[in-house]
Amino acid sequence: MTKKKRGSSSVYRTGTDSVKIRLIVLTVLAALLLLTALCAKYICPYDPYEQNLLLAKQPPGPEHLLGTDRYGRDMFSRILIAGTTSIFSTLILVSITTVTGTFVGIICGWRGGFVDAFLMRISDLFLAFPSLVFALAVAGVLGGGVQNAVLALAVVSWPKFARLARGLTLTQKEAPYIMAARLSGSSTPALLLRHILPNIAGPVLVTAVLDIGTMMMELAGLSFLGLGVQPPAAEWGSMINEGRSLLQIAPWMSLAPGAAIFVTVLIFNLLGDTLRDYLDPEHKKKRGK
Amino acid sequence: MKKKFIAAVLAGAVMISGLSVSVMADKEKTFVYGTTGYSEEMGDAGLNPHDNYSGWSALRYGVGETLFKYNDNMEVEPWLATDYEFVDDTTVKITLRDGVKFSSGRTMDAQAVKECLENLVKVHDRAPSDMKIDYIDADGLTLTIYTTEPCPAIINYLGDPYGAIIDMEYGVQGEGGNANVAGTGPYIAEKVTPTQIDLVKNENYWGGDVKVDKVTVKSFSDGSALTAALQTGDIQGTYGLQYDNYALFDGNPEYTINSCATSRCFFGQFNFESEIMQDQNIRKAIEMGIDKEGFCSVIMEGRGLPAKAAFPDSFSYGNEAVETVSYDPEGAKKLLEESGWKDTDGDGYADKDGQKLTIDWLTYPTRLEQPKLAEYAQATLKEIGIDVVVNNTSDHMTYAADGNFDVYVSSTTTAPTGDPEYFFTSTVVGPKNYGKYENKEVTALTEKLHQAFEPEERAKLATELQQKILDDDGFFFVSHLNMGIVTKSNVKGMAAHPCDYYEITADLDVE
Repeated sequence: MTKKKRGSSSVYRTGTDSVKIRLIVLTVLAALLLLTALCAKYICPYDPYEQNLLLAKQPPGPEHLLGTDRYGRDMFSRILIAGTTSIFSTLILVSITTVTGTFVGIICGWRGGFVDAFLMRISDLFLAFPSLVFALAVAGVLGGGVQNAVLALAVVSWPKFARLARGLTLTQKEAPYIMAARLSGSSTPALLLRHILPNIAGPVLVTAVLDIGTMMMELAGLSFLGLGVQPPAAEWGSMINEGRSLLQIAPWMSLAPGAAIFVTVLIFNLLGDTLRDYLDPEHKKKRGK
Repeated sequence: MKKKFIAAVLAGAVMISGLSVSVMADKEKTFVYGTTGYSEEMGDAGLNPHDNYSGWSALRYGVGETLFKYNDNMEVEPWLATDYEFVDDTTVKITLRDGVKFSSGRTMDAQAVKECLENLVKVHDRAPSDMKIDYIDADGLTLTIYTTEPCPAIINYLGDPYGAIIDMEYGVQGEGGNANVAGTGPYIAEKVTPTQIDLVKNENYWGGDVKVDKVTVKSFSDGSALTAALQTGDIQGTYGLQYDNYALFDGNPEYTINSCATSRCFFGQFNFESEIMQDQNIRKAIEMGIDKEGFCSVIMEGRGLPAKAAFPDSFSYGNEAVETVSYDPEGAKKLLEESGWKDTDGDGYADKDGQKLTIDWLTYPTRLEQPKLAEYAQATLKEIGIDVVVNNTSDHMTYAADGNFDVYVSSTTTAPTGDPEYFFTSTVVGPKNYGKYENKEVTALTEKLHQAFEPEERAKLATELQQKILDDDGFFFVSHLNMGIVTKSNVKGMAAHPCDYYEITADLDVE
């Protein structure tokens, strides 16, 4: 999804306004998700951690919208509260990787020479590992827990942004406006922050938003394997795992958190796509007409 | 072009190798068995009976046999032996069965058994202290064992899986989880790994014709995979299916469920070297904070019975004979308060001198219900203000041996030999006492039990001992389990046994 060619999205685009509408709708949906995650504590109908064995494995119904798990905990409440963990840890993760990666990338692109070569070789090193496998090893050494899982994924994910930012910086570095800024006496930090950064922010932002879906899946994957969030804490990935052994008897235990991941990842991926269309220079040109 | 050619050759090779696998299996009877009971994590990988619990595997999968075996009432019966007699308190004379051969070809006589038992007490961790063997005399088919002190339970111990008789001249081939041995059983292991055993029928089995030609024992660590494998037909029989999956097979004519009550028990040890665990009120509160009834009826789906002490109701010194605390969250809270643990910062957990009441709960995943017990107890103990941190790891033995836990929940068969002594000598005063529980009276009583001949006397001592460790809150017992074997309905002659260790026998047949 993230690798879609620029032109391909034009298939869906019927006019400039429709991109704008799509962008607005998706932003609202994403905001709604965030809001739900933020207020989960206050809106969940039951205590997500309260066990009641008398109500174990109830199918979805009016009392429990998404049924209950093997300990009689309300699935709907657990999904809501898990959303807080899943969504916010993903956002933190993506922020860390975006900021670190972009920072490293700009430095490399701007300075060149030894610094560039050194940092880029390090990033090559991380790019050479299959990310989830490396994250597994890191989480395995550091032990389980959501913080370690975020750390593990951050360690393997920043080089993507470093590469991107470096390449973009190189294209901007020799641009006439940079020359002009230099001639007018701007200091290097000012040049990087005021001139380079805003001009490369678009593609970085799009990549970051598209990355939210991937990261959410990887984080859920680590939790599914028992290396992320630890029980009894709720997290979508670990909830799918909890329900796995009862897939044939109480399928809602896995399907509900699975659907939650699906919907969230879909919204963020579509948002990323649309954002890219919106920021697309070609598209901008059309808008200008 | 060249590339295409190479690709074609490779594809051809793959197809041929695939075909060659499917060609075999003509008239041969084969049986594939999936179990969660065979793994390094359980300490029973490999078939060397003289190594930890590997004797269980030798016995379970029909490779090894013991001198004496247990019937369905857990009474001792002769097996490779035909008779025994106590000459005096410290001497027992055993007559061996004639015409038994090891799979190595050697004839089993008193000399071979003597070599095997001598090696057993030399290298095994539990056997020497159980049997107190001084020396052994061998004469034809008569084996005379002299013990250093009266050892009335020696006949029971000889039926323990570690007593599986193997040919020491053939020796132990391979190490640990790969160890193979020459036993006397209906099956011979061709290949042994920590995850799989390939067995072929023993053509010269003394007990008659063996019906199935090839048996494969596969280890599963994941319950869902085990269930799925049985449903797809990849395996034809299982041991250790998770209890909440029985519903998928119950009442289905394609499958047979065979289950029986055993002395296998989920129990916890408190770590007496951990500072907070030294407070008896905390230990008692933990037991009072666990809802055993709820766990057994709902999470175990009624296939476990709440336990008060080590032995189930079927024993005269079982549950009914002892008294312990029952589920009482309010009472538990009061006990914690007595010791100064109270929730003063409103976080829901009790604290004292700024320290939160947190306990490390060590357990392992292959007994599939143990992690569920941990998560369930985590919730019920939270009610009384105890924060439970679960460490659910396959590496539990390292943690246990290092004393890296507050509560260690494992499962054991408390009376595998139909006799109460084993639990006390192995777990209470023996090498499996990871919590370092110590009480001089208990040690003395265990010694007394070890030497008592009269069954009534032994039962009385077993009751007394259980009551003592419960009064000390040294251990807590959660549930006695029904062990079940689920097979395709065309599989015959396979039944769960109360001792939990005869699984694949000469009776096994696939119709």
